Amino acid sequence: MLAYIGRRLAIAIATVLAAVVISFLLVHATPGSPGAVVLGPSGTPAQIAAKNHELGWDRPLWIQFLDYLGHLVRGDLGVSLIDGRSIGADLAARLPVTASIAVLATLLSGVVGIVLGVTAAVRGGWLARIITVGSGIGLSLPAFWVGILFVLVLSLQLNLLPATGYIALSQDPLGWLGSILLPVLTLTVGGAAIIARTAAAGMREALGQEHIRTLRALGTPTWRIRYVHALRFTSVPVVSVLGIQFIGLFGGSVIIENLFALPGLGQASQAAVSAHDFPALIGVVIVATAVVVVTNLLLDLMVAALDPKVRTA
Amino acid sequence: MSVLPLDAADEVAPEPAAPTARRRGMPWFLRRPGGLLGAAWLVLIVVASFTAPLWRPYRVDDQDLAHRLALPSGAHLLGTDPLGRDLLSRVVTAGAEPLLASFVTVVVAFGIGLPLALIAAERGRRVERVLSRSTEVMLALPLVIILLAVIGVIGAQTYVVMAVLGVLISAAVYRIMLGVAQSVRQRLYIDAARVNGIGSLKVNLVHVLPSMATVAAVQAAQLFGIGLLINAGLAFLGFGPGEPQPSWGFMIQDASKHIYDDPWLLVPSGLALALTVVAANELADALAHRAAGERTVARRRPGRTPASPADGAPSASAVLEVRGLTVAVDGGPTLVSDVSFSLGAGRVLGLVGESGCGKTMTARSLLGLLPDGVSVSGGAILWRGRDLVGLSERELNAVRGQEIAMISQEPMVALDPMFSIAYQLTQPLRRFRGLSRTEARSTAVELLEQVGIVDPARVLKSFPHQLSGGMAQRVAIALALTGRPKLLIADEPTTALDVTVQAEILTLLRDLVREIDLSIVIVSHDLGVVADLCDDVAVMYAGEVVESGTAAAVLDEPAHPYTMALLRANPHVPEGAAVPVRLASIAGAVPPPGSWPSGCRFASRCRFARDECRKPFPALPAHGSGSVRCIRVDELQREQVTWDADAVGAELETGAGVPA
Repeated sequence: MLAYIGRRLAIAIATVLAAVVISFLLVHATPGSPGAVVLGPSGTPAQIAAKNHELGWDRPLWIQFLDYLGHLVRGDLGVSLIDGRSIGADLAARLPVTASIAVLATLLSGVVGIVLGVTAAVRGGWLARIITVGSGIGLSLPAFWVGILFVLVLSLQLNLLPATGYIALSQDPLGWLGSILLPVLTLTVGGAAIIARTAAAGMREALGQEHIRTLRALGTPTWRIRYVHALRFTSVPVVSVLGIQFIGLFGGSVIIENLFALPGLGQASQAAVSAHDFPALIGVVIVATAVVVVTNLLLDLMVAALDPKVRTA
Repeated sequence: MSVLPLDAADEVAPEPAAPTARRRGMPWFLRRPGGLLGAAWLVLIVVASFTAPLWRPYRVDDQDLAHRLALPSGAHLLGTDPLGRDLLSRVVTAGAEPLLASFVTVVVAFGIGLPLALIAAERGRRVERVLSRSTEVMLALPLVIILLAVIGVIGAQTYVVMAVLGVLISAAVYRIMLGVAQSVRQRLYIDAARVNGIGSLKVNLVHVLPSMATVAAVQAAQLFGIGLLINAGLAFLGFGPGEPQPSWGFMIQDASKHIYDDPWLLVPSGLALALTVVAANELADALAHRAAGERTVARRRPGRTPASPADGAPSASAVLEVRGLTVAVDGGPTLVSDVSFSLGAGRVLGLVGESGCGKTMTARSLLGLLPDGVSVSGGAILWRGRDLVGLSERELNAVRGQEIAMISQEPMVALDPMFSIAYQLTQPLRRFRGLSRTEARSTAVELLEQVGIVDPARVLKSFPHQLSGGMAQRVAIALALTGRPKLLIADEPTTALDVTVQAEILTLLRDLVREIDLSIVIVSHDLGVVADLCDDVAVMYAGEVVESGTAAAVLDEPAHPYTMALLRANPHVPEGAAVPVRLASIAGAVPPPGSWPSGCRFASRCRFARDECRKPFPALPAHGSGSVRCIRVDELQREQVTWDADAVGAELETGAGVPA
């Protein structure tokens, strides 16, 4: 158990470190420079060089890297090249938006997906076929397109939910839920489809196991075999896929935020990309990776709680 | 968009299955409608987009400002966009870049992931561990955000960005291909190839790679779909080809601004993208299905022919009486035919025979636990005078565990790996005996002690993976006893265990028969087990009982040539007897279900077969209450024939000096 958690923790730290190295190298290994970004097209080469010197860009790479790491461990992500804002503070304000969408979408995908997948595996017949075909299409549809369809139907036609804007949870819990429900539903279409497939395959495999026959030979009631024993067996792969899902949904919510005009990490990264705001780019990558890694650590703990082979190892 | 549905490999077995007969003459993956439609759409969209400049009705930047946001018409088959540009021309032209870019992603991902997987599978633990840890890190990175960072630095260079995606996603390819490569490498012929001095590269090229082809194709098709979605997502954010060049993603972005006045705008671009991704995934599914093997069992349960009334009333002493039992695949071949035997209270019956003789099917039909698609098609199973065949699942559940229980061949997988032994034992105890939680726990301890476990408290706290095979089989027996059954069906209960443990388990079963008046039906291919434990024996061959009677009679004076052969092929030597120089063998193999002859099913392998054996004939009474199914039984007994090894040896090695 401890060895397992230690291993997961080491991988989590390695992942964040990898994100730092990758984004840092990416920014430094290209011809562009922050001086050019700050001064814009009107800057002369001499002015740009002077600005780069001022920002410390002309120092050896490894010194800059250590310098950055030093600031990072103190929670300092630097300032924006465009408007001089603190990147850390900016991202901290945006994180709840993206995180609430990704977390809710993951949870909803899990619930809907498990119900659909288990139904398909247990019931069989035409219902299973509909779920299989439906999930095959669901996981193929582009989320931003589905989002527009939802806006068209739920906001414009039925007038049920607001199409854009964000209300903070602390400000108005119900309004908060209403403001993120459309993006959450949008991401759930694809998410639930994947979980449904995993759950259906897992459930079919579980029901074919030898120990299920042992239970049947003991006259165990069918509901107990399905929803206690087989479902528990299925839970481990489902939770593992949920972890992968969260990584995907977190990235997906970046694109969805653009559609629903939500002030989250996605908007920040899109702005940073368009403006070539290097420190902001690195900041977004690190924060996003950290969130994903922490969530996956929590799911790893859940796997450990579910799977005795992991727990007792 | 965002997803890595690369999980289909779990369902994928690399071994190719027999192709279905339908739609012959087509590549196998096109025989499913989804695969066919998917492949057709992909071909259509690829050809249409790459040839678009040759045939499209308008150039992508031709503006028809008089007809902005037009619905489909003769002039514009798919309508026009906000600038009056022809949507059909733009949608087909837009396809070329994402299709090619996603292909780049797939090529890069496989170019990196596949060789690494082959290396990791070949070089062993240490290399594999380093590579696998690195890929775990890569898989935990948020893909879209890293791609955005790449665009922020180098600009929206689609092919480079999609190649970077290929690098990142190669980790997923590596993990899946590693699994396949490892399982392929474990197969014997790879070792054989290496022993024969074939070089590592050639082993990979000739033996490993072809076995991975199907799984690789599935992954490639799925990856292609993911590539399309991510590419379109980036274009949606404005990081695609710049205006006036069209892209599906940006056309959808454009449409999102006009959902108030022209929702139609969503349809052409959205459908083109969605259909292409659906097509890629359908193709992947079709490929995966072929790999998993198509199992389409015709679900047609034939009515059961009841046991003939001439069989008479059940014999007074028998608790279990099986009459004319016939088990068949629904709409397919018969697996067990006309099997009859009976079992008295407190007695042990052995079902013996080679693999594939229908022993396990017979045993499992006693509890109504036949596999899906297999059912009892005739005969009766009388348990204390009540026919179990045709009972509903609910009625059977009242019998299972409380009257008849079962233990199986593989104790390690017979227990639920997710629950503690305590839970698995107390749960049926509470249900069967109406015990409280604490009572059930103390009863569980007693049961474990009864099956010879010296440390019940520790075992109760354990999970199945923490037990040894012998220990797990004891727990499985304790589990079978929770409902105080009168009959235990034991399907090869010792086959998977070490020899010393086998003896212990047999002793335990013998004690249980004595102590709690249990009857046992034990399935075994081991005549030693039968001689050790059984009162009665039914010898099965090719789905029927060829000889039955008391164990002493059948083993001492076998009447059927098959029984004689089995006994002579058995390495157990009775005490005081001479050790044979060589064991007898039975040439040939058991004929599979569906190809049984109408006469004696053993005739093709029998040394004493004559023409008369090819005709149908009934079983004859033998060994008192038993039977034998051999038309020449009297003749053979008169001649006192035996099934000796020497006969074969003498024929083969003429004058080789085999001592008699």
